[in-house]
Amino acid sequence: MSTRRGIFNTVITAAFALALPLDSALAQGAKPVRIGFSIAKTGIFASAAPSQLNAYELWREQVNARGGLDTGREKRPVEFVQYDDQSNPGQAAKIYEKLITQDKVDLLLAPWGTPTHIAVAPVLERLKFPMVGNTAASSRLRDLKPGNIWFTTAAIPDRIGKELAAMLKENGVKSVALLTNVLPFSKEIKGFLEPALKSAAIAISVNEEYPPDVKDMTALLTKVKQANPDAVLALSYPSDSPLYVRQAKELGIGAKFQFVLIGPTIDFFPKLLGSAANDIVTVGEWSPARNARAKAFYDAYVAKFKEKPDYLDSSLSFLSCEILEQAVKTAGLDRSKLREAIGKGSFETINGNIKFKGVENTVTKTGFLQIQNGEVQQVWPASMSTAKYRPKTSW
Amino acid sequence: MSPARDLMVVLALLGASAGVPFLGGDYWIGVGITAFMWVALTQSWSLLSGLSGYVSLGHVVFYGLGAYVVVASWEVLPIAVSLALAAGAAAVFAFATGMPVLRVRGPYFVILTFGVAELVKFVVMAAEAAAGNASRLILGTPEIETLFFLMLALAAAATVLAWGVRVSRLGHGLRAIREDEEAAETLGVPVARYKLLAFVLSACIPGAVGGAMALRNTYFEPLQAFDPMISFSMIAMAVIGGSDDLRGPVVGAACFVFLSEMLWANAPQLYMIILGLLLVIFVLFVPEGLCGRLFRSRGA
Repeated sequence: MSTRRGIFNTVITAAFALALPLDSALAQGAKPVRIGFSIAKTGIFASAAPSQLNAYELWREQVNARGGLDTGREKRPVEFVQYDDQSNPGQAAKIYEKLITQDKVDLLLAPWGTPTHIAVAPVLERLKFPMVGNTAASSRLRDLKPGNIWFTTAAIPDRIGKELAAMLKENGVKSVALLTNVLPFSKEIKGFLEPALKSAAIAISVNEEYPPDVKDMTALLTKVKQANPDAVLALSYPSDSPLYVRQAKELGIGAKFQFVLIGPTIDFFPKLLGSAANDIVTVGEWSPARNARAKAFYDAYVAKFKEKPDYLDSSLSFLSCEILEQAVKTAGLDRSKLREAIGKGSFETINGNIKFKGVENTVTKTGFLQIQNGEVQQVWPASMSTAKYRPKTSW
Repeated sequence: MSPARDLMVVLALLGASAGVPFLGGDYWIGVGITAFMWVALTQSWSLLSGLSGYVSLGHVVFYGLGAYVVVASWEVLPIAVSLALAAGAAAVFAFATGMPVLRVRGPYFVILTFGVAELVKFVVMAAEAAAGNASRLILGTPEIETLFFLMLALAAAATVLAWGVRVSRLGHGLRAIREDEEAAETLGVPVARYKLLAFVLSACIPGAVGGAMALRNTYFEPLQAFDPMISFSMIAMAVIGGSDDLRGPVVGAACFVFLSEMLWANAPQLYMIILGLLLVIFVLFVPEGLCGRLFRSRGA
């Protein structure tokens, strides 16, 4: 019996030890500002989340090197409180509630992806805690007029629908195959893209949906091959984007305009797929050529992590930290003042000036990027371009 | 202890926990809601599976349907009506599926209930995708304190219902079915009717609980609302607490909520490993559950 009790005690002690916060307070002197977030360390978003976490870590390192986060009265070191949400939006919502009510963090950073932002938004509303979003956009959530979350990206589904149809039309596309992952962001884009294509007189010759954990797209792509459209629009996520490219290459899909929604801007994508990734068009509105801050961010990121930042998610994650930092400098850590400062302020970021109208960044233009010889180039809109769009002629 | 005294003990415990909102903050209220949810679900599951021996591996289907009803009727019906409708929809679904499903026994019943739950999950997913919804948000739900007392009431109702069935002819009939279904039928137990009645009774409270949890989560996504882990957890709690004892689900739920609160945030994988280990240990060595073991050895 006593042995059993001994084992029981060991298990309980071990369990309590594991339950201790991961980031312990290291800073001396000023009390650290504790910033909480959840991150998809495991599950279907795990391949995309490191580019976000890296941006957060780079920002923390830079802020702490500058003497800490300026709260208006004093500079305090930044400390992270982070948990794995297992790519499960419900788990992320529970984590944000815990961060606010139990861990009592001072500030929040965003989790990865639209489904997770959507799940967390009601928690922020209920507990009235402001959070600058980054790797997410939802026209539907925007229309509910939440007051504690903001979308820093210009990749809002209704705007993507309109711009993509315009870009396709300009490049002479007459027919498309539309393949949609059923996650909220891609589904919303599809909802806006269909009417935009119709008004641009572009036919949808294949229109299919697939589940987020898809393992094989051969059946879908055979239909695409038979239809032989001018463009394939894969509204995909980082776990299925490489799958699409690999299988489209295997089947020799000949569309000259290849659009892959999320994933191509992550460093692993061209490394993994080689020449097959070339000339793929994707969503994004940032490049290191944007301004001096952008170049400095790019160089610091490459120096620290020995890889390129994700042009979409690393840049959005970093600039959400910049916005938070500038808002805290004027408003301090008071939540209602901070909410007002974020909502009404004007921020200098690695993607130029950003202001919000409602929850939406209305300053940055919606754009598209293309991988050209392994490098990511801005090809749309013309005013922001770093290179001209070119058709995909080979895999 | 007599069933009536068990009922008093459980209700007294639930009553005492009503003080949580006045003592703890939002976090503890949230923990309370989760604990009551598990008590209500596990009591309901035990009512069917603990008493009749028909192990349902798909009880989440009632929970998910309830959640879906509440989310789909959001801002259309008053909350009280949609919660009643959630319980009603689960009961009607149990009645409709119970007739064919309860004809099979043993492992076939287990697999069939699991299959039905998965089928409904994918039907709801397809329906939502066709309607252009990948997930739904409901903003402006009741305060967390209100949901705490609602879930407390559901846990108490599930306990009273489980007690009522246990002391009635229905409960004795179900136990007879568990021990030997043919013998029970020979003795005049209306086997088919009792099984169906137990299935329907064990479905309605999970329906309402699912609806209440949709209000708590304010977010609906079929993969989560119909997550098979919810079914597995009900079974694990009943097995560990003791499934043929009114106190079992409370003890099981308390153990799990304690374990889960320590581990879910920092070590979610470890939580699943411990859950699996506990289940194996209890099935092999303590099949009567904690309540069965503790109270029997004290009584002896």
